[in-house]
Amino acid sequence: MEKLIELKDVKTSFFTHLGEVQAVRGVSFGLNKGEALGIVGESGSGKSITSMSIMRLLQNPGKVKSGEIFFKGENLLEKNKKDMMAIRGNEIAMIFQDPMTSLNPVYTVGNQIIEAIRKHQNVTKKEARKKAINMLEIVGIPDPEKRIDAYPHEFSGGMRQRVMIAIALSCEPDLLIADEPTTALDVTIQAQILDLMKDLKVKTGTSIILITHDLGVVADVCSRVLVMYGGLIMEEGKVEDIFYNPQHPYTVGLLKSIPKIENKERLIPIDGTPPDLLHPPKGCPFAARCEHAMNICMEERPDFFECGEGHRSLCWLKHPDSPKVKLDGGVR
Amino acid sequence: MAAENLLEIKNLQKYFSKNTGFFKKKMQHLKAVDDISFTIKKGETFGLVGESGCGKSTTGRTIIRLYDVTGGEIIYDGKDISTLTEKELTPYRRKIQMIFQDPYASLNTRMTVGDIIGEPLDIHNLAKGEARQKRIYELLHTVGLSKEHASRYPHEFSGGQRQRIGIARALAVEPEFIICDEPISALDVSIQAQVVNMLDDLQKELGLTYLFIAHDLSMVKHISDRIGVLYLGKMMEVAESDALYDHPIHPYTKALLSSIPIPDPELNAKVDREILEGDVPSPLNPPSGCRFRTRCKYAEGICAEKEPVLEEIVEGRFVACHFAKEFNEGTK
Repeated sequence: MEKLIELKDVKTSFFTHLGEVQAVRGVSFGLNKGEALGIVGESGSGKSITSMSIMRLLQNPGKVKSGEIFFKGENLLEKNKKDMMAIRGNEIAMIFQDPMTSLNPVYTVGNQIIEAIRKHQNVTKKEARKKAINMLEIVGIPDPEKRIDAYPHEFSGGMRQRVMIAIALSCEPDLLIADEPTTALDVTIQAQILDLMKDLKVKTGTSIILITHDLGVVADVCSRVLVMYGGLIMEEGKVEDIFYNPQHPYTVGLLKSIPKIENKERLIPIDGTPPDLLHPPKGCPFAARCEHAMNICMEERPDFFECGEGHRSLCWLKHPDSPKVKLDGGVR
Repeated sequence: MAAENLLEIKNLQKYFSKNTGFFKKKMQHLKAVDDISFTIKKGETFGLVGESGCGKSTTGRTIIRLYDVTGGEIIYDGKDISTLTEKELTPYRRKIQMIFQDPYASLNTRMTVGDIIGEPLDIHNLAKGEARQKRIYELLHTVGLSKEHASRYPHEFSGGQRQRIGIARALAVEPEFIICDEPISALDVSIQAQVVNMLDDLQKELGLTYLFIAHDLSMVKHISDRIGVLYLGKMMEVAESDALYDHPIHPYTKALLSSIPIPDPELNAKVDREILEGDVPSPLNPPSGCRFRTRCKYAEGICAEKEPVLEEIVEGRFVACHFAKEFNEGTK
């Protein structure tokens, strides 16, 4: 099956006056049609910058240094500005973390949805408005005929995120990138939005890349997961692989540091702090915090090792010559 | 025998007044905390949860008297401190300390870490000269930082380390009671566990009592002995944390708990989510009767007419719902 989008060794850096901050240091993955892929990681792991690189939304001093991003077989990094604008919002849409700042406060929400529709589709104003009302209805905004003329400040946080989703889906994109779409929302509202996203995925067949730091959200929505750390993918696998049979010490550490609802066992934190990407470590970025670290981990960056079908781990422990360490840390 | 109460909150109210209308002649009251009562026993951790705008932070800030009390009593160790003057409060300021949510905003950027931690010692005249320096080193050691950190400035530290500095500052005056206002929400998952474990250890070592305010329900469950659930300035349910999670009685507690995404894909798929509709109503104009009734699927006529009182349904278990008994017995 042909991949909808495929990244090949993408490297993105920020060229600051202090030096080069290597935010993404060689990321490769693919996404099938209709799939929901989760990217988890802590702040500074490069998960948002990966998505910004796909959308070509990076601004100075950020730049995609090398690599290829194939979308429907064409390399996005070779597209000019005009071609990119035709793709952005139309074929790939994005929703951001903060619905408060991503809507323009001086235009009605209707205007902002109609703008997106008219930009990419050859329709009259009237038709666009009708479509906008329809979109608002799909995302569950009550009384859409009236609310379409309201301004963003008249909406609550959850409602604004619904409007953002309406804008993103108005051109029926093939790929929706959601960057922490529920982080700014309360749990009960988060449940509503996640439900909506799952529902829309089934109805519209849109592929989703969901970026989040919340493992619960990933378990709820995604079928495949990438775990990122220090600008690299540490582990990739089906959601069951990652949660029940993690094969990277970082994934194991992450799962152990979240509290379980059923019991009050002491949490097991990961000691230390994430690496400084201005001077990234030579070897594995996690080596300094890893309890299984060996000499080679400090010296050389590991390769991916297959752990099962579609399940790979960037860890020297998986090398055939490594000592056999049992990584025990699934949520079961 | 149950431990004695360290803190007793009786009918606490905190209203914020706002002038509205054309000439700002009309007074409007925002009832941020409206008539809530609960007790905290010596040595326990009391968790306070709820969505944004429910009044959980206001409760914390009112208890420590950062806000003036509109009505009700705050009985600390047998004495009502709600009406004390600033001068009379000084000894209590030493006993009650607070840890804030944002470790980036709560530390003075122009002071060294040593001075930040030393300031409370100066204010309360606890140590001078060499003794002060020694105490600062001791506190840094307690929170897992080193002596050398004392001469550095806050911007040189990561979020988790800053939160440790905030904790060291709170501990400087040897308090009995610490109000933790979302102390971990700004931190990464792997760092959250470090801070939570440290709070846990400090409690055991120093016999501290905590009021733990957070919106992350799984973390609150992990750290708290008893939990209070707030909604729009009203206490909905108070219970032992295990009992609350295993068998929530109030419909709001039920919905809140079922909204948490579980970091386990199979369990997640099995959960029958109770998704609340709509948003939290405006606290400026709360619904009549029970404040939750507009989103409650069990609401009946009486809920709009009469406000339910917080009643003890089973021993140690308080619920504010007209149908609490029925819910408890499973007849509704």
